[in-house]
Amino acid sequence: MRGKFLKVAVVATATAMLATACGGGSNDDESAGKTGGTLKVYNAEPAFLTPSGGDDEPSLYVIRQLYRGLVKYNAQTSAVENDLAESVESTDQKLWTIKLKSGYTFDNGEPVNADSFIRSWNFAAYSPNAQNNGYFMKRIAGIKDVQSQDPDGDGPQKAPEPKAKELAGLKKVDDLTFTVELEAPFSGFPTTIGYPGFFPMAQACVDDIAKCNETPIGNGPYKIDGSWQHNVAINLVRSDSWKGDAGKPDRIEYRIFADVDAGYAAFQGGELDVMYTLPPARYKEAKATYGDRMFELAGDSFTYVGFPLYMDEFKDKKIRQAISLVIDRQSIIDAVFDGRFAPASGFVAPSFEGARPDVCKYCQKDVEKAKQLLAEAGGWPAGKKLTLWANAGAGHDQWLQAVGDQIKAALGIDYELKVNLQFAEYLETADKKKFTGLFRLGWGPDYPFMETFLYPLYGTGAGSNNSGYSNAEFDALMKEGDSAASMQAALPSYQKAEDILGEELPVIPMWWRKEAAIYSENVDQFVWNAVADADYGATSLKQN
Amino acid sequence: MGRYVIRRLLQFIPTVLGTMFLLHYITSLAIQFSGNPVRALFGDRTPPPALLEAITERLGYGDPCLDQRGNPCFGLFLDRLQNIFFHFDFGINLRQRDVTDLVADALPFTLKLLVIAIVFEAVVGIAAGVLAGLRGGSFTDYLVKISTVFVISVPIFVLGVVVREFVGVKFGNVLRGQEWIPDVISVGVFAPVFKQEYPLASLIIPGMVLGAVSLATTARLTRTSIMENIRADYVRTARAKGLTNKRVIGVHTLRNSLIPVITFLGVDIGAAMAGAVVTETIFNVPGIGRLVTFSARTGESSVVVGVVTMLVLVVLLANLLVDILYAVLDPRIRYE
Repeated sequence: MRGKFLKVAVVATATAMLATACGGGSNDDESAGKTGGTLKVYNAEPAFLTPSGGDDEPSLYVIRQLYRGLVKYNAQTSAVENDLAESVESTDQKLWTIKLKSGYTFDNGEPVNADSFIRSWNFAAYSPNAQNNGYFMKRIAGIKDVQSQDPDGDGPQKAPEPKAKELAGLKKVDDLTFTVELEAPFSGFPTTIGYPGFFPMAQACVDDIAKCNETPIGNGPYKIDGSWQHNVAINLVRSDSWKGDAGKPDRIEYRIFADVDAGYAAFQGGELDVMYTLPPARYKEAKATYGDRMFELAGDSFTYVGFPLYMDEFKDKKIRQAISLVIDRQSIIDAVFDGRFAPASGFVAPSFEGARPDVCKYCQKDVEKAKQLLAEAGGWPAGKKLTLWANAGAGHDQWLQAVGDQIKAALGIDYELKVNLQFAEYLETADKKKFTGLFRLGWGPDYPFMETFLYPLYGTGAGSNNSGYSNAEFDALMKEGDSAASMQAALPSYQKAEDILGEELPVIPMWWRKEAAIYSENVDQFVWNAVADADYGATSLKQN
Repeated sequence: MGRYVIRRLLQFIPTVLGTMFLLHYITSLAIQFSGNPVRALFGDRTPPPALLEAITERLGYGDPCLDQRGNPCFGLFLDRLQNIFFHFDFGINLRQRDVTDLVADALPFTLKLLVIAIVFEAVVGIAAGVLAGLRGGSFTDYLVKISTVFVISVPIFVLGVVVREFVGVKFGNVLRGQEWIPDVISVGVFAPVFKQEYPLASLIIPGMVLGAVSLATTARLTRTSIMENIRADYVRTARAKGLTNKRVIGVHTLRNSLIPVITFLGVDIGAAMAGAVVTETIFNVPGIGRLVTFSARTGESSVVVGVVTMLVLVVLLANLLVDILYAVLDPRIRYE
């Protein structure tokens, strides 16, 4: 249940098909969708229902209906549109001025003003509050002063109080205006603030965060009915205090399941209107049964196989290119995954603005070229086994073995699997750069801007750069894009940076997950937001 | 009797402490060998060290002994005992919720499920056993014998999934298509998984699945026991006295035949709790079993220690109750 931030897709419109299925054909040209009704959706148990805490998919699905932020994403194009913000502007990409629209309030009557945003961001960033979304505040100036580290690593001494309680980079100008200073210029800043971690919080919420988690005080189109019934359900009803575009259903009921198979059975039994996670084993069956009511699209959840560049065997890029060249991605996807993935030929999700096909010149199977490259690089050390790493219990063994078999068949390099580490230890191994061979890892974007697929994974010293890749030219291009005058102007620099990766291959791009959701006959129009996934507030039901 | 109960209650203390230490040791080893579960919360995003540390500390995984493989973490164990017994604080899970709250939320569902399961297996099991036992070699006897073999040989997770798919989904969908069947039957009882609108009706089928395996054992135990007792001297005496058949069977034979059955049902509460882990996950019942499954998967040691300790107490109390029931059923048994 990894925290997913966004996925790119388009709106599913099946109105016409559904109308025929009903035999009526009466609701032609109803593209707007009707309001009313109760929408029952599948959900797993969220971690938190506060903007500062919830960073996993089930939490975000609920938070996005309860709360609203400065910007929202266009359902089809993923473009950033102002929501509560009047404007988000900067001249140097470092100091951003944010003006808010007036008149918005929280469910408890508190106004949504500059303070509510500053309060929320400060709360998330202050490390003693232990909020998961503190991670997302990392660009704001003064972040280091609100997070403190244990002086001796792991106890016995406790971490000291951080130097400051508030982020130095956040300043209130007036009730509806505030400025955000970043540590370094970043042209993509407006795309980041549509993430729920940047949504506002009421004073009453921060004062009693535990209570606010159970009975959220939101500012969005829906409010909670009663409180969070843990592991059972979360019921939302239309909020009267919301001034923006109203949601379509009168009521959204999130039914909580611990197991996707049980959720799928409930869907089959007609108890759910939307089910967005399908059990892999039932995928084919679901596609056959609910073909016209299945929404499917190549998403932006990236799987790659990384090279430990700190090991001598992998320092030569020709070795890396040779290994990538012998992998036939499509055949593995078909054989192991029933086609639930789309092969990758680049490092940025195909649906992102600025993404181009075939950036990676070594991602199509070509054994002859691979053999030649391997020979040029001086061959693989005789007798040495190639180790392939993956975390245990997550179903990675099978495809990784297929990768190993293809390498062995084509290049004669013998391999061994190392798939016994649990996820936590596996990640710690990654953080410490202790992998001794190729390793599987994934990535999901944090915001709809191609930078999110580049710097965090390949920038020198970046957080999730597990290969230990370092290239001065790449870093310079990233910096150039970050300080470009606009998001559009930044793309060419990022594309050049991606080209470097396509040649140097610090990791082997494998595939993008296809997003699949099924919906019931009650649903009139199912809406999938390009960034925020299934948008339940915008999904309409058939009215009788 | 009073002294016996007190002695038994005192014996609980070492049992509970021992179990808790074992659980504590196992969960600590799990963390020592498979890594900090807090790191897994962040997945592919490497969190800043300060934040990771703050959250690790908050969630109670900050003790340095959790980094030393094989260390039994006595200090942490003592802290845990102190919190549990002096402050009634079982700790928090990875989502910063109190374990006591988690249990309080989940317990009602599991209790209902258990009651349904035990009642089902006791009533149907004993009835089938009596019918078969009274007429050994008859059609009913064979029917009971064959059907129980069938049920015993199917593992509960297979039975659960099969029932969910065929009874809940396929058969249920047929019922839901019929207008004349009331909602409580078609939408409630035959719901594929637990449904909050029908909190009791939708638990009936999961409860029956949970009770099914033990039902077979109960039926067979009752059958053998009845067959044995029906030939006993005191039954012959009772018949010779001219007592009605109803009284001979109902009071004399059945009461004495039920001793092994009651023992089994008592022990079975523990087994049913274990079975609940499977059935609750399959039928999405938000009870203790699903809670344990989920916490074990994510490595939430405080939840596992807290919940399993409570389960141990339940099993101990159930066994004590069974021992006391013996005295009620069999006048020859006395506790000094």
